Amino acid sequence: MFSAITAGRRGSGLGFALPAVLLLFAFFVVPVAALLTRSVTEPELGLQNYAVLVGSSTYARIFFNTFFVSGVVTLITVLIAFPVAWALAIMPSRWASIIFAIILLSMWTNLLARTYAWMVLLQQTGLINRSLMALGLIDAPLQLTNNLVGVTIGMVYIMLPFMILPLMGVIKKIDPAILQAAALCGATKAQALRRVLIPLAGPGIASGALMVFVMSLGYYVTPSLLGGTANMMLAELIAQQVQSLVNWGMGGAAAFLLLVVTLGLYAVQLRFFDAKEAR
Amino acid sequence: MLLDFNKLGAWKWGLTAICVLMALFLLLPILFIVGLSFGSSRWLIFPPPGWTLKWYAELFADPRWLGAALTSAKIGVIVMVLSVALGLLASLALVRGTFRGREVLRAFFLTPMVLPVVIVAVALYAAFLRLGLNGTLVGFVIAHLIVALPFAIITITGALETFDPAIEDAAILCGASPWEARLRVTLPGIRHGLFSAAIFSFLISWDEVVLAIFMASPSLQTLPVKVWTTLRQDLTPVIAAASTLLVALTVLLMIAAALIRKGKSE
Amino acid sequence: MTTPFLHINGIRKTYGPVVASDHVELAISEGEFMTFLGPSGSGKSTTLYILAGFQDPTAGDIKLRGQSILSTPSHKRNIGMVFQRYTLFPHLSVGENVAFPLRVRRMGQSEIAEKVKRALALVRLDGFEDRMPAKMSGGQQQRVALARALVYDPPVLLMDEPLSALDKKLREEIQVEIRRIHQETGVTILYVTHDQEEALRLSDRIAIFNKGKIEQVGTGPELYANPATHFVADFIGDSAFLSGELAGVQGNRAALRFANGQKVVDIPLHGAGRQGQAADLMLRPERVELSAEAGAEGASLPVTVQDITFLGNCTAVAARTDWGDAMTVRLNFGHPLAGRLARGDRLHVRWSPEAAHAFVRG
Ligand SMILES: Nc1ncnc2c1ncn2[C@@H]1O[C@H](COP(=O)(O)OP(=O)(O)OP(=O)(O)O)[C@@H](O)[C@H]1O
Ligand SMILES: [Mg+2]
Repeated sequence: MFSAITAGRRGSGLGFALPAVLLLFAFFVVPVAALLTRSVTEPELGLQNYAVLVGSSTYARIFFNTFFVSGVVTLITVLIAFPVAWALAIMPSRWASIIFAIILLSMWTNLLARTYAWMVLLQQTGLINRSLMALGLIDAPLQLTNNLVGVTIGMVYIMLPFMILPLMGVIKKIDPAILQAAALCGATKAQALRRVLIPLAGPGIASGALMVFVMSLGYYVTPSLLGGTANMMLAELIAQQVQSLVNWGMGGAAAFLLLVVTLGLYAVQLRFFDAKEAR
Repeated sequence: MLLDFNKLGAWKWGLTAICVLMALFLLLPILFIVGLSFGSSRWLIFPPPGWTLKWYAELFADPRWLGAALTSAKIGVIVMVLSVALGLLASLALVRGTFRGREVLRAFFLTPMVLPVVIVAVALYAAFLRLGLNGTLVGFVIAHLIVALPFAIITITGALETFDPAIEDAAILCGASPWEARLRVTLPGIRHGLFSAAIFSFLISWDEVVLAIFMASPSLQTLPVKVWTTLRQDLTPVIAAASTLLVALTVLLMIAAALIRKGKSE
Repeated sequence: MTTPFLHINGIRKTYGPVVASDHVELAISEGEFMTFLGPSGSGKSTTLYILAGFQDPTAGDIKLRGQSILSTPSHKRNIGMVFQRYTLFPHLSVGENVAFPLRVRRMGQSEIAEKVKRALALVRLDGFEDRMPAKMSGGQQQRVALARALVYDPPVLLMDEPLSALDKKLREEIQVEIRRIHQETGVTILYVTHDQEEALRLSDRIAIFNKGKIEQVGTGPELYANPATHFVADFIGDSAFLSGELAGVQGNRAALRFANGQKVVDIPLHGAGRQGQAADLMLRPERVELSAEAGAEGASLPVTVQDITFLGNCTAVAARTDWGDAMTVRLNFGHPLAGRLARGDRLHVRWSPEAAHAFVRG
């Protein structure tokens, strides 16, 4: 129902939004637009920045790194998150709430603190390499930082909560009677999983995966600390162009590409959900 | 049957195992840092050869760490207040407003959350270079506010949506003016949402790395910036000590948030 | 003519193309219990909201003791209201909820305490001052809401389906309370409901709403005995309607011919009609009986039994006229026919001529 007061006699309420709108306009819309504009005006008017970005193999490598790592991170995250979310949705609530608290703790722990932990754990003399060597599984330490392996581990660690929490909500909303019906229809557990539970959770999985993928594409901190300078990703490229090379044109062009991909995938996600709700 | 934990049979143990392993994966690095921060090894050997508090002593002896923490706290509190105030007004407009295009406005308010922070950071960096706001407190506050606001708006609109507007109408018929009704009835009614929004906003500002790196100057930096610059030189255990304190703060805020949630359900 | 206490004067309200209220005209006297009864979407709440000042009418005026109140904002109208949903302030105790209107009026502490006590006693919730709303049942919450709406002695109390969220038994209990409170306080009440039984039980007068208009205003017995329109006749009571056409009209009495050629004459006609126009014959159930023999000429029809349902104190017989109109006749328990009926039986329905009304279809 409507609030009779605001609906009937007072103004439309738009004025209340004004401070936030002005703030975002002045310090978000205008600066981002200005940055994107610089991609076609600096050093001179034209699309040369984009030509360089698309044409050079250095940049191709960066795009490949970005999409490849994001894809792998998304895949691993989904594979871990689905069973965990499923279990959390149906576990006795005491156990579930302990695991839930751990997920929240890790999610809210300072990003740099978490990344630092992985830098220490994964380094040549770190706990992981030393344990593996002590167990006799390897002879020489593995190279786990300053490459994409480290980035992937660090990113999965960060993205897991973002996948588990929404997926848990989706699974909780599925009526258990549907799966009871599947069992009565003669479906084995594996069949019920493949033909009923996963399809029902499908939209949730897809939208969570899309969100993790989009977040990974633009991630800056973990790739730059665990990936090292040789394995750059797109966000680092933008920062580097602007900060170290003071090349605003290239920085703006890279930012534009990232923005288009991000908003495009975000729009896909919105449509996807609208379509689902309309049904 | 797949949604009844006790009817899962052997699968139950499989799922439990995955859950426990994942929980360990999430928890161990955090415990690891806490352990390191008390370990005596400069080279971060684990388990440490002995125990010590010297990294904490070093942390507190360095005025730059303390200064950075104070700066972070100051920025966090200002961002928290502004974010809740602007978020509340914006949410009133989104939930109680009758103008057209409210959905579009809502999507607009949330865009800073979906865009990669690095884009916002670089764009603001350029703008602030022109405006002379780089390395200033105002610059930090604006930058952090941009990313904290969407979270405040989500939390407060959520609370407002579950608060029946007829209650506000009832207060008005009882003789309260519209503003009096909002202040005395609606605000107390959504106070849990406002507290959560405040905690979220503070934490987002307090933990913000990317924006802060771009806003910082040698004379003004936040705690994450200090951690960042130190990390890039050397993995010193002092960072473990600082991180442990950050974890402690997170735990405290999480407990506060949980208590608020419990207060709400009562 | 004396000025009415509360005058709803030609209120019209449109939302774009939707006409929510259409020239609502009503005079209510002081202390009266007036109920708005009508189906969903008929404009009852809209009229009430205009009184409360939540909506401005597109046209028309509201006068209290001869003074227009339209320019007074809601919070200065001094009107009480109980809403359909529970609207207690969740963060305040019962006592503070009831005290709220007095606090915003900046009344003294001791006066507030005394009035709150009296209001809670009125709704029989003495001693509940410190209880929080969330810890009370729906019925108790609505009684607190009633105390809160009455504590500042408003001249008019509005109630918008206040009991619709409660179960039947509780609803009846609170209806009794509302009647008592109305008598004790003498407050003028405007009550909205779509439950005819509730309306009949509570009200001095009932206004029947349909599509934004008031179809008829009157006491319960008046509306039942003399419905002005087809809609009112249908809405109040469980009547049967038999379709036919006007065979002759004389003033406000008419003759009706059914499809089987049978005629009934000298029936009160409602609405203007000409010979040959389609019209319905309305029969009130308690004036209809089922019999093996045909009754007096013009007050009896042959029907076929379709279904028989035992309902405890009566048996409902679904019957169909030869041209296909359905009607239900109730036989009291122990009626000689009750045990002996079967589907397909041919019987006669008979009625007392003074209980029939004709309505022009339109
Ligand atoms: N804010 C609004 N905007 C547009 N149309 C409205 C609005 N409020 C009411 N209406 C329309 O006005 C008409 C009358 O509504 P109203 O709420 O007065 O009906 P009602 O008799 O109270 O029904 P109910 O028994 O369902 O409460 C309905 O058709 C409704 O859809
Ligand atoms: Mg209504």
